Amino acid sequence: MIRKKIVILGDFSVGKTSLIRRYVDGSFDDKYLSTIGVKISKKSVDTDSGSCELIIWDIEGNTPTKSIPLTYYKGASGAIFVVDITRSETIENLQGHIDRFIQVNPDAHYIVAYNKADILDDTQKDAFELDSYSFLTSAKIAQNVDILFSRITQDMMI
Amino acid sequence: MKNIQAILNIILSKDIFQYIFIDKMYRVVDISDGVGAYLAKSPKIGEDILLYLPELVGYESEIENILNGVNKSYLLESIDINNHYINISIEYYNDETIIILLQNITDITNSKQKLLQYSNESILLNSTLENIINRQNALVFLTNRDDIIYANKKFLDYFDVDSLVDERIDIYKYLDTPIDSYDNLFPLVDDKEIYISIKSDTFILKATLIESSHKLFTLSRVTELSNEKNIDTLTGLYKKPYFISYLERNLDKANDYAVIVIDLDNFKRVNDIYGHLAGDDVLKEFALLIKGNIRADDIFARWGGEEFLMLLKNTSLDNAIKKLEQIHAIIENHKFIHIGELTASFGITNGIEGDTIDSILQRADNALYEAKDRGKNQIVSRKV
Repeated sequence: MIRKKIVILGDFSVGKTSLIRRYVDGSFDDKYLSTIGVKISKKSVDTDSGSCELIIWDIEGNTPTKSIPLTYYKGASGAIFVVDITRSETIENLQGHIDRFIQVNPDAHYIVAYNKADILDDTQKDAFELDSYSFLTSAKIAQNVDILFSRITQDMMI
Repeated sequence: MKNIQAILNIILSKDIFQYIFIDKMYRVVDISDGVGAYLAKSPKIGEDILLYLPELVGYESEIENILNGVNKSYLLESIDINNHYINISIEYYNDETIIILLQNITDITNSKQKLLQYSNESILLNSTLENIINRQNALVFLTNRDDIIYANKKFLDYFDVDSLVDERIDIYKYLDTPIDSYDNLFPLVDDKEIYISIKSDTFILKATLIESSHKLFTLSRVTELSNEKNIDTLTGLYKKPYFISYLERNLDKANDYAVIVIDLDNFKRVNDIYGHLAGDDVLKEFALLIKGNIRADDIFARWGGEEFLMLLKNTSLDNAIKKLEQIHAIIENHKFIHIGELTASFGITNGIEGDTIDSILQRADNALYEAKDRGKNQIVSRKV
């Protein structure tokens, strides 16, 4: 089976671990527990281009005083960048995360999750301008989580 | 050589390191006994290591470089595997084989995780508090021993500075009272509301002692509190109810003070001749003129129509009359828009112990009527 490494990146406490837990286990826990280092999860996915095993890297989030080592990015076919729509600084830091990842993996695919969207009402959601590589997501209510991973996996398999 | 073997055996028995030998095809060649504890299930000889260590997926080129002697080793740090934190070190053994060393760093990483958790929660809390403080309808600054140690974004924006590291802003310099430090300002403001004019705005200044060492000052812009504080929308002055309420609250506390009622002479003719819009302009101009010539913490209010109220604090009646004479002269010499000249009549009285709002306002009003009866454009006082 084809194995594809995908890294989940973003500032701390944006919901990276929760998105993975929702996608892999179908569960959610409100309690915030900081990820340190890396935790890997696996999930088999069927795509139009065949089956693959996703090796999902849940990587410790960046903090104002700590950047994560670029060695974690090595060999990734794709990335999901996660921001917290309730914290503007996480959106401001998004491009920095993308630039660092592309520097290591110039040919990799990526996608952006604007997470914690369950907080928004419908009008606020409508006002959110998103391109085809960005999704409003919520690990809490399972909004757009499957489609997020499905979309990036399809791209990585092409 | 025997010693080295003994040392290695001890290290392995301490569950600090485990090892896996793999060949070029990622098949397990040899393995230490404790690997199963780290990986949940121990791989068997000949099995694909990537089934047990998917962490190596994506590092094929690094492994290739080690086998080819380009690099000697590669390290992946702090990998959470099966409730252990492991450092995975990929090392050259020979041209056909590499060693994967698994170093158990669970204890130290758990300690780091607790610190990281505490740090991240602190950053989030700090960020939330910062957001709350920055959204307040007040400018906030905190001092300790007269050093400004914090100012919120509204404060910095209002004074158009990025930080107060290189630039000091001393609010007390905007008061008429001679004060030379925040420490000296505090007792003046503590438990009271002080009105302070900065640039073209009026603020309510409050002070709170925090932990006996820090002093928190807040500035609430009066113009933003117009509903709450009864601000007259035409002139920007307080309305009569606020004046009365302020006087009531401070009658007992006040030292010497004077209350003044002012009436613009012949103002009905201004409206009749120049129109009500012109009349409004004159009222606005009059209010600005007087505000610019009284102290920041004196209270100036619009009673209604062309009548005004003034409270001059901490002053004897004689000094208040002198101040009023200055104001009288300023009005006489001022050229008003639309109409040119304008005069006003003044009734002034001092407050005494036992005064009520009605008694003091009645005296000032009687004095005003006497000024009108005497031919307007003058000051009449009622001393008690």
